[in-house]
Amino acid sequence: MSVSRRVLLQTAAVAGMTRRAFAADSIKIGIPVALTGPLGGIGAQMRRACEFWAKQVNAKGGLLGRPIELIVEDTAANPATTVRKVQEMVERSGVRLITCIVASNEALAVVPKLAEWDTIFVSGDNGDGRLTGESLVPNFFRPNVSGPMGTRAVTLWLRDSPMKKFYGIGMDYAWGHNSMEVFESEAKRAGKEFLGAVFSPTGTKDFSTYITKIRQSGADGCYLVLAGDDNVAFLTQAKQYRLGEKVQLLTEQVDEMGINASGDASVGLIGGSRYPAALDNPQNKAFVAAWQAEYGRLPQMFEGDQYQSCIVMQAGIEKAGSVEAAKLRAALEGLVVTSVKGPITMRACDHQAEQPGFVVKVVKKDGMEHPVPEVIATYKADRVTPPCNQMVYTD
Amino acid sequence: MDLLSFLLVQCLNALSQAALLFFLGVGLTLIFGIMRIVNFAHGTFYMLGAFLGYSAVRLTGSFWAGLVLGPLVAGGIGAAFEMGLLRRLYKRDDSAFLMVTFGLTLVLGEIIRLVWGVDALQVQVPDSLSGIVFLLDEPFPVYRLFLVAAGAIVAVGIWQFLERTRLGLLIRATSQNAEMVHALGVDVNLVRSGIFGIGCGLAALGGVLAAPLLSASLGMAGNAIIDAFVIVIIGGMGSFPGSLLAAILVAFVQVFGTYYFPDFAMAAMYLLMLLVLVVRPGGLLGKEA
Repeated sequence: MSVSRRVLLQTAAVAGMTRRAFAADSIKIGIPVALTGPLGGIGAQMRRACEFWAKQVNAKGGLLGRPIELIVEDTAANPATTVRKVQEMVERSGVRLITCIVASNEALAVVPKLAEWDTIFVSGDNGDGRLTGESLVPNFFRPNVSGPMGTRAVTLWLRDSPMKKFYGIGMDYAWGHNSMEVFESEAKRAGKEFLGAVFSPTGTKDFSTYITKIRQSGADGCYLVLAGDDNVAFLTQAKQYRLGEKVQLLTEQVDEMGINASGDASVGLIGGSRYPAALDNPQNKAFVAAWQAEYGRLPQMFEGDQYQSCIVMQAGIEKAGSVEAAKLRAALEGLVVTSVKGPITMRACDHQAEQPGFVVKVVKKDGMEHPVPEVIATYKADRVTPPCNQMVYTD
Repeated sequence: MDLLSFLLVQCLNALSQAALLFFLGVGLTLIFGIMRIVNFAHGTFYMLGAFLGYSAVRLTGSFWAGLVLGPLVAGGIGAAFEMGLLRRLYKRDDSAFLMVTFGLTLVLGEIIRLVWGVDALQVQVPDSLSGIVFLLDEPFPVYRLFLVAAGAIVAVGIWQFLERTRLGLLIRATSQNAEMVHALGVDVNLVRSGIFGIGCGLAALGGVLAAPLLSASLGMAGNAIIDAFVIVIIGGMGSFPGSLLAAILVAFVQVFGTYYFPDFAMAAMYLLMLLVLVVRPGGLLGKEA
């Protein structure tokens, strides 16, 4: 052998040292994200947004002069796994800041441990209203649109619609139940009749019986709180049963992944959007252009909303001059950031970002491979953001 | 919707679901009955079928091509796997098969992720099947009726194949006494490769047929393998009519259980399995364990 064992060892040691030097210097952000299972597609979008942001920041010399290092782990959307993986990130890799958790029940499992870990969690997607309500902890921040906010935008739009009677189908876990509750109270407030709801287990494949129930309910509109593979399966099968001809389908979130996978089955769907790529402001235009240059397509809903959370994190870290939990928390409270949705405020009282709400309709456009969401109504931040620590609205 | 049309629609819903469950269960039970191997990778072959179906439709523009190519390719991979790996393990105990087929699950799953990406992929129902028929004034998708028919055709086909053909005879003989069949001058190894390939091909056929309902997605395998095991346990390990009976039973329990007790939708199937295990531990049509 021409290379001696000694040289090899030396090289390895040097490589190890440089790596350690780099590691001590970098800002580590934990990405405990569901990459497998029914929510894996959403997780992939969110992770992509984080990587895009980190690449952008690192290309400009990093944050506080330090490079950003993402530590990605797959949680499979299992809350117990998520807690274990974050614990490992905190203890082994010295992570003090996490984002990119997909499911609300994962987030709800993580937040009680944040104080012990001395770690800040900036949500990029978690919708359950309780996270900024009864389950709020000081180290949790939510720059994204919550479930109640998405539902609120849809019900504000419903107030002016002739539809009278509503039924609902939601995923049988924290987010589905929470959003359905908000929809029920908001629909009643709008003078509409709420006929009931059914919840399908996460990973449901055959929706035929649920479709029968919706059809039998006699509702004019059906509210969907479905995501990932379940959403795609429902839309595809609803189309096969011609459900849309009898019942207007409404949804908390219209996401492009669902549209692309269900194709024409999603046309006519009306719902909230956490981030429509068509927003007309300079920040968004710059983001969309850079995204298109990188991936050759428009950013999708979860990508845009997670990116906004990254921008909030970035502004917070710059203001705090540190990722230390106490400093970062103080910096994030009350922070005003101009993000892709325009200026948004991380309000101090419940750590929810005040931001506008969008209602979109899925339409077919010439020259586009897939149907696209088109904004049909925009509501100001004070109309869609609930009162502090609340999930219900007062008007 | 009156009671009669409700019952009709729900029964057809259940039968279409039963067809998909049958494709999953029958392959697993054939492989177990004849080879005494619990094929943990069965769900992954089902998923592979859905993705192959997607690509076949994309490349040829025809769903029917997917229906033929998906099972053929998946079956070929299954047979090759048997020849390359499983064959070397027949002298080991059962845990070796569990390990190696579980390994195959991971490898195949990762290959599918690399080839097709993480997004769910839509498979269009062919135009000829995309319509609806009105049953007592209730719209019902033609594609679901097609699933029921496909399930019935395949069930009859397998039954006739096992009972009437020479290969079917060899397969049944091998399951009873492989050494004797070998002594009579039959290449038992070839029979085994064939049956493993056929089992995997049937799972893939289920995957292609399920794709227009579910889209091809990476979450399919995990769900499918559990369903397949439940079918096989309820029907009886290795029993072909058992898997058919179990598929129909599970589908009806799911469809009507979900309707009347939606909160127990997930538990219904497992409660049925529990009940069967208590009353007949070997499965409904299985040999008593």
